[in-house]
Amino acid sequence: MAHTAGIQYEPVAEIGGGAYGTVYKARDTESGKFVALKSVRVQTDQNGLPVSTVREVALLRRLEQFDHPNVVRLMDVCATQRSGQETKVTLVFEHVDQDLKTYLERTPSPGLSLERIKDLMRQLLCGLAFLHSNRVMHRDLKPENILVTSQGQVKLADFGLARIYSCHMALTPVVVTLWYRPPEVLLQSSYASPVDIWSTGCIFAEMFRRKPLFCGESEVDQLGKIFEVIGLPPEEEWPTDVTLSRKNFPLRTPRPIADFVPEINEPGAQLLLKMLTFDPLKRISALNALEHSYFRDEETLTQTKT
Amino acid sequence: MSNVQLSCSALERLVARRTFPLHRRTGVCRNLFGPVDHDELNQEMKSKMREISERDQQRWNFNFETNTPLNGDYEWEEVPVDKTPVFYRDSVQNGRTRVPATPTKQKPDTESVLPDTPRMDVLERLAAPESSGSGTGTGTGSPSPAEVNQENRTDKLNSGRRTQRQVPCARQKRTTSTDNNTHITDFFVKRKRPADRKPNDVGACHLSKSPIPVEQTPRKRIR
Repeated sequence: MAHTAGIQYEPVAEIGGGAYGTVYKARDTESGKFVALKSVRVQTDQNGLPVSTVREVALLRRLEQFDHPNVVRLMDVCATQRSGQETKVTLVFEHVDQDLKTYLERTPSPGLSLERIKDLMRQLLCGLAFLHSNRVMHRDLKPENILVTSQGQVKLADFGLARIYSCHMALTPVVVTLWYRPPEVLLQSSYASPVDIWSTGCIFAEMFRRKPLFCGESEVDQLGKIFEVIGLPPEEEWPTDVTLSRKNFPLRTPRPIADFVPEINEPGAQLLLKMLTFDPLKRISALNALEHSYFRDEETLTQTKT
Repeated sequence: MSNVQLSCSALERLVARRTFPLHRRTGVCRNLFGPVDHDELNQEMKSKMREISERDQQRWNFNFETNTPLNGDYEWEEVPVDKTPVFYRDSVQNGRTRVPATPTKQKPDTESVLPDTPRMDVLERLAAPESSGSGTGTGTGSPSPAEVNQENRTDKLNSGRRTQRQVPCARQKRTTSTDNNTHITDFFVKRKRPADRKPNDVGACHLSKSPIPVEQTPRKRIR
C-alpha cells in the first residue's frame, strides 16, 4: 500500500517529522505539578481554522470550568499558524504518569483488590456521567485513554479535539481496537451514549482479568466473541436498520459471566451484565450504574462501622 | 486528499448559505456600518494574534511556534513517547480525521503484503462471517487467547479502510462519518440545527452507501 501512496493519495501532512518522537512535559516549580503539551495540527483553508475546531475548543474549555475530578485538566489552548494551510493547536494538559493499560500491566500477580476495582469503577463512572450529562460521548473509551494518577485518581482523557486515533486513515499504521466496541457500533446501527457504558463494562471485566474480555479480529469476529458470552440476542432486539442479519450467527445461550470473570462478586456480576446488555436502550446509564448495589454495599458497610 | 476536502467544505458552505435566507443577497441588504478596510482589519487581527501568542509564550515559558522551551517557572523536558501515556502524543487533524503525528512503533510488517490480498468491503465480510476466520462459526472456548496482541494486527483491526472508491468525495465523506472521528460537538449541532446539517452531512452520507456507521442522533433512531 505504501508504495502506491504517491499515486492514489495526496500527502496531507508530514508524519513523524521533526521532534514528534517526544512529548514536552514540564514541572511547575511553584506548585510542583506537571503539565504536558499535545499538539494537534489542523488543516486550514482561506477562512482559517475550521469552525468545527473552534467550536470544539470552546466546548472543551466550557467542560473545563466544571473542574471535574475524573476528567483530565486542560490548562490552556494555544494556537500558532504554521502556514496558510496549517495551524498548530497546542493543548496544555495536566500530566499523569500512567494510563489504565500500564496500571493493569504493572499490577503484580494476584491482581487488583476488589476494593481497588470498585474505587476505580466508581471514579470512571463519575467521569462518564459528567460527560454524558454535558451531552458529550467519549466514543473510544479504552484502558489507554483512562489515566490513573499515582494517588489512584482516575481521569478520562482523549475525547473531542484531543482524540488522537482515526479509524480509517489509509497512510498511517494506526491501530484501532475493536475490543471495546459495542454491538450497535459493530453492526453499524445508530448509537448514542450507551456506547461508553459497553466499553466501561469491558474495562470492568478487564480489571479483574488483567486481559481484555473480547478480543475480536474483525467486526464479525468481535460480535461472535460477544455472543459467546452474552448469548445471541432475540430477534426482536436485533436492530432493524442494519445489513448484517442475525442468521449469520450461531444460536447461543448466555453463559455465566463468572466463567469469564472468576473473581467478581455477585453484585459486581449483576452490574457487569447490565453494562454488557445488547440492546443499548436497555443498557444501564452511568448515573444508574453509580446507584447500583455493587457500589452501595460498601457505603452501608462503612455506615454500620461508624 | 486536501483538494477533495476543500471542494467538500466549499459545497458545505454553499448549502449552508442556501439554508440561511439571511445570507442570500436580496434587495433589502443594507450596509449598516460603512465599508470595511480589509487591510486594516487584517493588520488588527494579526497584531491581536501576536499579542495572544506572546501571552501564551510568557505564561508557559514555551515558544509554541518553534516548539522550544524558554526559561521560567516551568521546567521543560523532552520525554520519549513510549515513556508517557499514548494520549499525550501529538496528532494531525485533517478535516475531522485525526492521526497521531508520532510514528507508532507498532508499524505493521504485513502492510506491504496486503495490496495483493483481495480487497473486501466491510459489508462483504460482514455478510460472510466464515471468511473472516478464527472461530466465529466454531466458537468454542474462552474469548481471549493469552498472547493476543492488538499491536501486531493492524491489518485486521483496521478492516474496512481498504475499500476502493471511485468518487473521491465519497471517500472523504466516509472518513468523516466514522464513529471515531466525529467531533463531540457534532452531536450538539445536529440537535440544535437539524435543518442546517441535514442536506449535506446526513443526506450525503446515506447516499454514499458507506459501510462505516453514519452517525445518527438518538432522535433518528429507527427502533
